[in-house]
Amino acid sequence: MAATTTTPFRSLDGFIGLGRRIAALIPGLLLLAAVGYAGKFIEQSIGAYNKARHIPFPNIEYVLWAIVLGLIIANTIGIPRIFQAGVVTYEFWLKAGIVLLGSRFLLGDVLHLGGISLLLVAVAITLSLTFMHILGRAFKLKPKLTSLLAVGSSICGVSAIIAAKPAIGADDEDASYAIAAILALGAISLFTFPLIGHTLHLSDKAYGLWAGLAVDNTAEATAAGALYSDAAGKVAVLAKTTRNALIGFIVLGYALYWSSRGQAQAIGNKAIFLWSKFPRFVLGFLLISLLATLGFFTKPQLISLANLSRWAFLLTFAGVGLRTNLRELGKQGWRPFAVGAIGEIFIALLTLALVYGADRYLYL
Amino acid sequence: MPNDARPSRFAISLDAYAVALALVLALLVRLNLLPPIKW
Repeated sequence: MAATTTTPFRSLDGFIGLGRRIAALIPGLLLLAAVGYAGKFIEQSIGAYNKARHIPFPNIEYVLWAIVLGLIIANTIGIPRIFQAGVVTYEFWLKAGIVLLGSRFLLGDVLHLGGISLLLVAVAITLSLTFMHILGRAFKLKPKLTSLLAVGSSICGVSAIIAAKPAIGADDEDASYAIAAILALGAISLFTFPLIGHTLHLSDKAYGLWAGLAVDNTAEATAAGALYSDAAGKVAVLAKTTRNALIGFIVLGYALYWSSRGQAQAIGNKAIFLWSKFPRFVLGFLLISLLATLGFFTKPQLISLANLSRWAFLLTFAGVGLRTNLRELGKQGWRPFAVGAIGEIFIALLTLALVYGADRYLYL
Repeated sequence: MPNDARPSRFAISLDAYAVALALVLALLVRLNLLPPIKW
């Protein structure tokens, strides 16, 4: 009886609580939209100015403007508490944007490029995990911190580190170090990758594949691809999504290794473990791609979906800049950063060589 | 510690919500319940 009388109140409380949580996101969401749109406005304004005066200045994508504006705000005036909850949602928009981007791929393209990515990822992962462990030992890092850095830099950045942390029983400090190193290196790659790509005259496909394979965090990989060209951005997302799909297997391997040494919890059902670590947005991406392949959407509808994906990415790129705290990154000490940096340079060069080879012999 | 390092339970439900939102938007576009989205 008591249950029946209290349930409506409990539901109402729950409803109000949910409403409050959603309301708390609004200021940060508006900040993401304002910074992202300002980036788009600057790109268009500079483009129009140069066109009107016939100035041959290369177009700088809104992606870079949004990230730079976000970086300036976050590292000068800072992000007031009221905006923080909404700013964190940039990762939500990234994933929604990737699912919607599935509409721009026919399933055949996904399988072809995904297959090549998978092959290159397998080669790169094996070599880079080995290299990172050698480096970690040489710099006398804690073994679990080395494991986290290796997972983060060879598979897929922050999500891989978060997935691996409880599985191998690493402490918060190690995860924080590894995440900081990966984020700092991701920020650097945003400025260096497009320059290298242009210097080497890489095709959109080859560059996109390289960015997707070498840049660790999904948001930065997407941004690094989009900074080069729209087509490169698409390929970068596909290659990165292929890497993301492998998180479970690598984390399972590390979990089994550390539990065999008695330093992490034993793994029960391996299939359930794999499913729990599998990024669900990859399935969403494949579903939308399948629907597009089956002709479920008309051409104008496909354009609308692609544009929705761009708007979602606009919020993401603003968030990438806004959440990067350069002072915090500097506080993390030089050794994990040095291991990460040397490892990243090695992985970037390795994947560049692999992509060059694939472009030449597998006809990307 | 960066915000990304929040517990993984949030990350898993975040994926599900992001997929749900994207699928709802795709359905609305398919049923022409949204005006054409411009960039």
